[in-house]
Amino acid sequence: MPIDIIIQILLGGILLGGLYALVAFGLSLIYGVARILNIAHGTMLAITGVVASELYAATSWNPLLLMVAVVPPVFVFGYAFHAALLRPLARRRKHEEIIGTVLITTGLLIIMSDVTGVVAGTAQRNIPLAGAVLAFGDVIVPLTQVWIFAGILVLTLALHLFLKRSWFGRAVRGVTQDGIGAAICGVNSARAHAMTFAIGSGIVAVAGVLYAMTYPVDPYMGFSLTVKAFTIIIVGGIGNLAGALAAGILLGVAESFTAFLWAPQWAPLISVVVLLVILVVFPRGLAAWRTA
Amino acid sequence: MKFDAGAVTGLVVLAAVIAVVPLLGGAYLTTVALSMLVSFVLAESWDWLGGEMGYLNLGHYAFYGIGAYSFCLFLVGGAALAPSFVAAVAVPAVFAALLAVPMFRLKGDYFAFATLAIVPLCGLLTDNLSGITKGSEGVSLPPHYVLIPAYTMAGLLALATVAATLALTGSRFGYALKAIRNDEQAAEVVGVRLFPAKLRVLVLSAGFAGLAGAVQAWQFSFIDPDSMFGLSFALVPVAMALLGGSGLLWGPLVGVVLLTGAQQLLLIKLSMLQATIYGATILLIGRYLPGGLLRARALQRIPILAPLGREHHARIARRVAAAAGDALPLPPIAAAADASILGCRDLTLSFGGLVAVDNLTLNVAKGEIIGLVGPNGSGKTTLFNLISGVYRPQRGALAFDGRSLVGLRRDQVARLGIGRTYQIPRPFGDLTVRENIAIALMFREDGIVLAEAMAEAAPFAAFAGLVARLETRADALGLQERKALELARALAGRPKLLLIDEVASGLSTVEVRRFVDHIREIRDRYGITVIWVEHIFSALAQVVDRLVVLDAGRVIADAPLADAVRDARVLATYLGAASGAAR
Repeated sequence: MPIDIIIQILLGGILLGGLYALVAFGLSLIYGVARILNIAHGTMLAITGVVASELYAATSWNPLLLMVAVVPPVFVFGYAFHAALLRPLARRRKHEEIIGTVLITTGLLIIMSDVTGVVAGTAQRNIPLAGAVLAFGDVIVPLTQVWIFAGILVLTLALHLFLKRSWFGRAVRGVTQDGIGAAICGVNSARAHAMTFAIGSGIVAVAGVLYAMTYPVDPYMGFSLTVKAFTIIIVGGIGNLAGALAAGILLGVAESFTAFLWAPQWAPLISVVVLLVILVVFPRGLAAWRTA
Repeated sequence: MKFDAGAVTGLVVLAAVIAVVPLLGGAYLTTVALSMLVSFVLAESWDWLGGEMGYLNLGHYAFYGIGAYSFCLFLVGGAALAPSFVAAVAVPAVFAALLAVPMFRLKGDYFAFATLAIVPLCGLLTDNLSGITKGSEGVSLPPHYVLIPAYTMAGLLALATVAATLALTGSRFGYALKAIRNDEQAAEVVGVRLFPAKLRVLVLSAGFAGLAGAVQAWQFSFIDPDSMFGLSFALVPVAMALLGGSGLLWGPLVGVVLLTGAQQLLLIKLSMLQATIYGATILLIGRYLPGGLLRARALQRIPILAPLGREHHARIARRVAAAAGDALPLPPIAAAADASILGCRDLTLSFGGLVAVDNLTLNVAKGEIIGLVGPNGSGKTTLFNLISGVYRPQRGALAFDGRSLVGLRRDQVARLGIGRTYQIPRPFGDLTVRENIAIALMFREDGIVLAEAMAEAAPFAAFAGLVARLETRADALGLQERKALELARALAGRPKLLLIDEVASGLSTVEVRRFVDHIREIRDRYGITVIWVEHIFSALAQVVDRLVVLDAGRVIADAPLADAVRDARVLATYLGAASGAAR
């Protein structure tokens, strides 16, 4: 296999993996803080991507403007959704709380996909930006992809700084480590949970716009992204941004090579296989954070 | 004896309704009833994991799809009907056995999520392996009309499912699942072997679901990946079981009837957004009724319906008469004064940088009562955890009654004859005191059958002062009663060595005296060796033969009581240097 093809596939894989990592950040943040495994997480990306694509088709706004238009509503939706539906479950017994969150987020997934499918149609679409192309010998990189990757890096860095430096970030990390301890120190955990859900949703909305700039989106594609994000946080560790980015890129590259060397329809299998293999081979490594 | 009148009546009524439907209703009603029966089998078999064992298997629907595909592919491939149905049970069962290894590494919502990923995985495989599965085109059976035979089979399968549920809830195996649901570690230290129990229930539920899929596919005569592995159908049985009431005998059936009824109405009234309505139903069940309709307070107030909201096992347990004798049914262990029962040599365990147990060497002779003391964090509970197999030592040897304990599972350690209590009690909260003790009786080395165990639990409860609380759920007990239950449960496991972790703290003076008498009796009458961790020094002083003092994971004193309390290091680290120096 010629080296330039390898590099080309590698670059595509890194870009895809970076987007997966963004999905994983939100899922990991929400799980780490609020202990909610949001099954509808990837579907939020799908729906944001569809809405942004439709918006682009109607207005031809540039992607930054699209983000300004779609991210705040998703952020507010995330906050309201948590406050109205998920928060009240905290008063129930542990087992019922788990059942409740699984059912509520799955219900949300089905509703979002179905409503979007009915309103906007089930076809695949994207944000077809025309842009310059960088050529390094035979390796071709669209400028759009450079911007997307820059966006991923900026968002990762911003999130990292936010969690490490801001007071709210410290509060969130406190709640992640010990909810009751943080509450004793005056952290309003109900608000921290809802804000985290909102921020996680906001991140995945940004990812939705970035995703639709290169890959096609449709209302039903979300769950497979959630599975990938879940695999990534199992590999990279809950609340570990660098680990998630590395695991995401690894997964993206593995999928790209599978698609090229074998067949594209087998690429989605990689994440599930990786997940199963990790569960069999490294159970001890996971035990540390799996259950308290 | 196992089946109570209410459950049998329910079974007979269900059989009668199943028999009457095709006689009175037409083909449409029979078709609807058939899919209800199939859904019921799915929901009820899902609940064996979900309700009994507390594991949310969101991938249960995959077994249904695999069963349907196995059946159709065998039939199309030229196999006869019977082998095709056998394949519909066997293939999902084997698949479930393979899945059990990775999936049961996970617990709680992680397990739920990972199992949900199985459904699209199966869909993907079915789509891609088109050489075998015909891919997205789906599989069509040759034209046939099998409504009545398919319906009959679904009816029989549904009745078999209820019967299986009854057998399960009233069996030793069922109690292993209930113990797992409550507390896996506590289940293990009373002798329940976890993985085989989990594996068996998953395989059993997969077999039933697979057969249900085959029956439905037989009647449909066409299947494709979307209908068999579609995510929007995958949670239907789960939603049904939860709507009615997970863990309740008739819960899944109620949920199935309500949701299928609603679905049929929607099919007639609505042409689009059906999935939305269905999603909203799931969402609302999750928000308002995660415990199920039959447990709802409004229904619990209606006397006829109230029993439906109680878990089935509670009724079985109450039928066994309480019989409290004064002696525990434990054969005394022959005293051999100089024989060693437990030997720890150079035992070491550290958590990160903290060395919790540091080169600890300790020998315990048969029939001794040892008081284990030391400041907080000195490694007492960690030592108990090492002996009972909760932790594995990083270094050192651990021998019990002549065999090494290193590398044994917790249930193996328990079956060898090591019983323990937890400092923070870990009873099986949603089971009664009687059931808690009975589980230990059933899963010890020479375990007895369920009915005997239920009866034999009474003397143990009486010994611990819980005879009036036999039928009380453990999570309704006060702290002292829970500690007493810990002791009763540990004794029921017929231990040779009993590890007692701070049972007396918080007791009144009179209660402490009674407890000390208990400890003495445990040793004198039944020959059980005791290691007792306790901070109430006066209590220890009344009964122990030898005092072992730990500090920072090391033994700093190991001597008869009178000598140990004069040891300078013991005075400094544990009894208080200031008071010693002042004198």
